[in-house]
Amino acid sequence: MIGVQDFIGYYDWTFEYLRRNYGEAAVRDYWQRAISLDSQRHARDLIEAHGFDGMAEYWGHTLAMEEAGYTFDRGADYFRIDMFACPSKGHLIQRGLAAYHDYCEHCMGWIKPMMDDAGFTINHEHNHAGQCYWEMRRTDDRLAEPPPNRGPHDVRSLPPATWQQEQHHLYVNSERREMIGDT
Amino acid sequence: MSAGDFYFAINATFRFIHDTYGKDALIDYWATMAREYHAGSAARFRSGGLAEVRRYWADYFAHEPGGDVAVRLTERGVELDVRDCPAIRWLKDGGREIVPYYCEHCHTVSTAIAEQAGLIFTLEGGGGVCRQVFATNGGVA
Repeated sequence: MIGVQDFIGYYDWTFEYLRRNYGEAAVRDYWQRAISLDSQRHARDLIEAHGFDGMAEYWGHTLAMEEAGYTFDRGADYFRIDMFACPSKGHLIQRGLAAYHDYCEHCMGWIKPMMDDAGFTINHEHNHAGQCYWEMRRTDDRLAEPPPNRGPHDVRSLPPATWQQEQHHLYVNSERREMIGDT
Repeated sequence: MSAGDFYFAINATFRFIHDTYGKDALIDYWATMAREYHAGSAARFRSGGLAEVRRYWADYFAHEPGGDVAVRLTERGVELDVRDCPAIRWLKDGGREIVPYYCEHCHTVSTAIAEQAGLIFTLEGGGGVCRQVFATNGGVA
């Protein structure tokens, strides 16, 4: 049986299987249709109905279940997650698994379509080493630059040896921003 | 995602591959996963024999959320008596439409793992209740 205890490993493997057999676009299609629209429909229902409160409820439950290292932050116009120890990426790193070339992208792959449909935009950066932040704002509340540092709980306040490791991917208003050394 | 969400994702993954690429593609996905991702398990089964098969599945089901599965080493081989499949239970309780071919993945994946390990795999039942047997080539499974 394909169970849940080693799901992360074959989730990563599945991305690579789809890429190898059907191309990169198939992986994006999978994240959108299978994960965002089908698997995670309960997250969609919560966020479409309750906005920031729905995000807090969904990720409060999910990240607690996954025993993630994270903080939440709420402002009048944003909901924010700072992930200090992603359990999913951490699982892969601990076991030396990296079938797909960019596992971290799957989060944007399924969360962005959900936020698009719910009327929110995403400001996000990840370092491919288990640290990232997510700051969701309403769609018409666009930023010119990444959001300001929110203080000690902001993952960007981590020592450079932690936050600055590996390659970063940055999204502002749900759109990818090129970074120095980006590929 | 939390643990239960992963069953939702597994079910959705099967549906996506089936509906997009067809049933043969889904079977290939399962068989390839067994050959590649589960190659280590197959190697352990080959070297450790049925005792390792029993240990693996007993530990595996002990770490899945819910369900009711007994794992025994008998004269037939290693028998997995699935009285309440944790995946089917979680999907039903979550109100999800379970793809009609969901249970076929157990047959395809475990058959491919068994073949790599020099074993024979059989499965009877489905829909949350089944009996699975891993036997040696000289067995009567």
